[in-house]
Amino acid sequence: MSSSKAKMREKKMKNQPSSVQYSPSTTQNGGGAVVSGGGQLMERPKTPHQSAGWSRGHQRDGGSYAKEMPKCITAGAFARARAAEVSSMLKAVRKTTGSCHVFGALPKHMRRRAMSHNTKRLPRRLRDVAERMREKSLQAGSKKKEQAKNKSRKARRRHGNLLLEFNRRQRKNVWLETHIWHAKRFFMVKKWGYCLADKPTSKCYRPCYRALSSHCLLQDLSYYCCIELQGEENNLLASLSQLTSKETGPTFAAALSLSGQKQGSVVMYRAGCYPLQPLGPVTFLWRPQSQGSTLRQLWIWAHPTMKKDLLTELQTVCQCDEAVAPPIVPIEQKLPVTPEDKQIAGTKRKQTVKDISGPPAKKLLGDGTRSPTTPVSWKSNCTGTIINDLTMEMVRFRLIGPQSHTVLAETLEVATKYGESDKLKPSSLWWPEHCKEESKMVLHQEQADAYHLLKGILSAGELPPGTVLGLTVEDPRLTLPTKKLKALPSVQKAQEVDEEKSRELMLKGVPKHCCQSSLWDRSVRDNVTENRISEKELNHLRGELLVPGSRLSPAPPQSSVPVLLVHQPGKQLGHEMSSWGAGWDLLLPKGWGMAFWIPLVYRGVRTGGLNMSLKHSQNKGVPHFPHDYPDCTSGALFQDEQEAELLEKFRRRPPAKRTNYIKHGCLAPFRCPWQQLAEEWELILIEEGKKKDSQTTRGADEVIKEETTSLRDMTAAKPVSCVSVLRCRKSLRLLSGWCRPTTSKGQRLCRVEKVPQLDHPAMTSFLTAHGMSLVWVRLLMPSKGKPELHAIVCAPTAEDLQLLDKGPGSSGPQEPLHRDHFKSRRKGSTKTATSSLPSEKSEGQMSHLLTASEEPKPSSKASSGFTAGLWPDPLPSVTSHCSRVTLGWVTQGDFSLSVGCGEALGFVSVTGLLQTLSNQEMKHRGILLLRNPTSLHYRFVKVTIEV
Amino acid sequence: MVRVKSRYLLCEINVPDRSRLFLLDDRAVAAAVKAAVARMHGDYGAALCSIRFSVKYLNAHTGIVFLRFPKKCYRLLWSALPFITCIETRGQKIECFLNCLHVGGTIRTCQKFLVKYNTQQLHRMLPKCKSEEERSQVREAILKCCLTRGNKQEFGEESDSEDDEEQ
Repeated sequence: MSSSKAKMREKKMKNQPSSVQYSPSTTQNGGGAVVSGGGQLMERPKTPHQSAGWSRGHQRDGGSYAKEMPKCITAGAFARARAAEVSSMLKAVRKTTGSCHVFGALPKHMRRRAMSHNTKRLPRRLRDVAERMREKSLQAGSKKKEQAKNKSRKARRRHGNLLLEFNRRQRKNVWLETHIWHAKRFFMVKKWGYCLADKPTSKCYRPCYRALSSHCLLQDLSYYCCIELQGEENNLLASLSQLTSKETGPTFAAALSLSGQKQGSVVMYRAGCYPLQPLGPVTFLWRPQSQGSTLRQLWIWAHPTMKKDLLTELQTVCQCDEAVAPPIVPIEQKLPVTPEDKQIAGTKRKQTVKDISGPPAKKLLGDGTRSPTTPVSWKSNCTGTIINDLTMEMVRFRLIGPQSHTVLAETLEVATKYGESDKLKPSSLWWPEHCKEESKMVLHQEQADAYHLLKGILSAGELPPGTVLGLTVEDPRLTLPTKKLKALPSVQKAQEVDEEKSRELMLKGVPKHCCQSSLWDRSVRDNVTENRISEKELNHLRGELLVPGSRLSPAPPQSSVPVLLVHQPGKQLGHEMSSWGAGWDLLLPKGWGMAFWIPLVYRGVRTGGLNMSLKHSQNKGVPHFPHDYPDCTSGALFQDEQEAELLEKFRRRPPAKRTNYIKHGCLAPFRCPWQQLAEEWELILIEEGKKKDSQTTRGADEVIKEETTSLRDMTAAKPVSCVSVLRCRKSLRLLSGWCRPTTSKGQRLCRVEKVPQLDHPAMTSFLTAHGMSLVWVRLLMPSKGKPELHAIVCAPTAEDLQLLDKGPGSSGPQEPLHRDHFKSRRKGSTKTATSSLPSEKSEGQMSHLLTASEEPKPSSKASSGFTAGLWPDPLPSVTSHCSRVTLGWVTQGDFSLSVGCGEALGFVSVTGLLQTLSNQEMKHRGILLLRNPTSLHYRFVKVTIEV
Repeated sequence: MVRVKSRYLLCEINVPDRSRLFLLDDRAVAAAVKAAVARMHGDYGAALCSIRFSVKYLNAHTGIVFLRFPKKCYRLLWSALPFITCIETRGQKIECFLNCLHVGGTIRTCQKFLVKYNTQQLHRMLPKCKSEEERSQVREAILKCCLTRGNKQEFGEESDSEDDEEQ
């Protein structure tokens, strides 16, 4: 019974008499007047009664009663009990219903319509009470209303007040600059200290996918945190090399990235901890070297969940322990909104005349949650390295899709040079000053040329990945089209462009010096942010035009904005759909977000939220942060949050409508116990090794024996090691080669270099290195089926593979129904003694299918935190729980629109995978089974590891 | 209108030894009734008795019980009540018989009857009292009943209901 129902019932039964009886443990049962009378009865211990004849509660004939009368106290108590009963009965009789309305007491035939509304309809004797009740209810109602409404809507919506309110609401979670635009169109979630758009309220999953694959999808990624490092190149590289490993791919020191031509990406680890304790993936960008200076500037873009760890780690490796407050203060003072806001918000309740006295509220830019005194810059004394926290100092928009460069080309126009005439006049704006230097103007011209070349490209994927282009552009609001139009590539423009040059661009990328941009300078950034023309001024200027709707010319000098265009690589892994989902990132100085956002949206792009970035990385087949980084702290945190969320969702369903995951043999439907999985596979390996040992002593194969023993030593040496994800490129390439069936027709083996044969020594040596690791795999379902979150990846048995031979249409094996051992316990707890006969009967048919090992003893944990249909902690062996051996779980699964079949991404244990592969025939290499948590059906999947 | 109709039997449990009355509890009474019905009317009776039969109220001091039977078959079930000779509770057998005082369509009518009946009983007790103390006690009890009865006329007064709760 739900709590509200119980409350109703309690109210209803409030006046009803409860039974008066004695429970064996306590002397009294129930409460109230009756028992108090009875209590006296009990206190008087065992007065000797005359037990002659029947004594009767009432006396029809006084004689028999009189026999009992001599005990005078009995009679008194008896009378008291009677009286108490009478009073309780009277109470029950008079107060008819639990309803508090007076007319509930009236007999039905005297009730009239709308009695509660008009008290005059009640009989006179009840009117007073009814009046009183009505007043009471009115008071209660008005109290609630008063709290909600304190100002008129008109007052609240007034611009200044609205801004104040917005600033107040931004104090806890940072708003992006496009927040209000998004909030009108998206479901917003509060995540990682930000208010972020999750998914659109309109139904546009497929249109968004189409935009990704054929046009352009726009996202606001300003929540990514930028950390700036400044210092000597050698110092920086030396300290950063502690955080990365060359095995995972190119690091900070890669030549192309170091020159500033390309954006790089790398997985960072805690200092010297590789391959354990990763922090997460980051992208980084070096500022191109300016002449004659060894000082370099590096931007590291990281996800907000890993920012704190990354920052502390960077501080330790760069020895930047001295927080520098002063150089930051002027920037904070330029935006004096934060402190004032707080003052105003504090006095808001008093309804004073602060609107007159206080300065008008200013729009909050940047991070509103941070207090102005928090240091954002750290300096090292010995090396002179400076770390700046540039969170929310820049806006980052991501355009994904093959036509994203077309959209950019239509939206952004290269800034016009400032007029020759007033060149000599000093200006507070950066662009006129910038125009005075000849060398910079030459650079500007070259950048503009490179930008024009971009228009000749057919798809954004054709460019070398990570290309960077610095640019100074006009305010895109000036060229805002009157109507929303879809930006389409024009063939004419493409032909105009010199073919030779564009080919060079495609091969080599943007020339080295064109990557320079004024966006790197803090002073320029702040200048641009400050001098932004407001929407109002712009409209005013437009209104003064002679021809309405014509272009504003000459453009106002403050409308030149330095931007950085960074190419985002598409799908780089695997063979098919290469460079799918490539696009551009647009970096802007802060404050200009909406000025660029609206013109971009007017070019017919789709906008996506967090959900779409997940789908994007899923289609690309890359792990998404923090979902698919179980070895990172933020990944683990995300897993916990996800589990709590899913569990809550599960518990919200009525128990009868929940999936019984125990019966489905699904141990952990809401989280993946990676650690347990890796440990269990380690144990399995050791046992196998022992078996082999006994065999090989006869065969005298000493080498393997040694290796297995050494392996055992090693595992014994590291008792509690955390699970790690295999990111070493070399090992991944090896593993990827082993996964591939060698005799398959469709495989083009010529491209792949010769992989060593998967034999026992190779396997053993591989496992010694990466025994406890997980590996990121992509699973494709060639037949039916749609994988879901946390689906189980299993190893097929030999019989299953024979099933596959029968034909392509044959579906996979079935998992026998498991038994819910916790059911009986649950029933016992609810005190219903009825045995669970019918359920046992139905399960009895299946029980012969269950092997003895699959009946683990129910753990002794109390059923306090127990949810029906879920395995309580601690879990039994995860690998051997089902009829097929578990290898891993799926962390992202969906029907893939790009491949056209079910596609899942997840992790499997390296040990388990290798064991399975080595036992499989060549023909069936790389075939695994996948089972959704809500299903008993196994499906065949092909496993690929893409490097 | 449309509702599930029942009959409520207001019964009195008569025992030779009044102190043993305290041992009673509603489950024991229900079990005894069920056993008696099963004995008298066999499986058919037992089935009827299992449907909507319940003990709604039991006062271990006065031995008053409210039994609810489905209206359709209450006569049949009622006919088995005189055959109850003992109630087994807490490992003891209490010799008793049930005396049906009132049959009502609602609990409310039974409650009303019980009020009337109890006051009547107290009134009858008064002249039979032997000692002065006893007499005063009984008189006090009667007064209590009368007071509330008097108040019944001025229904809805809040002070009145508070009085009731104090008692």
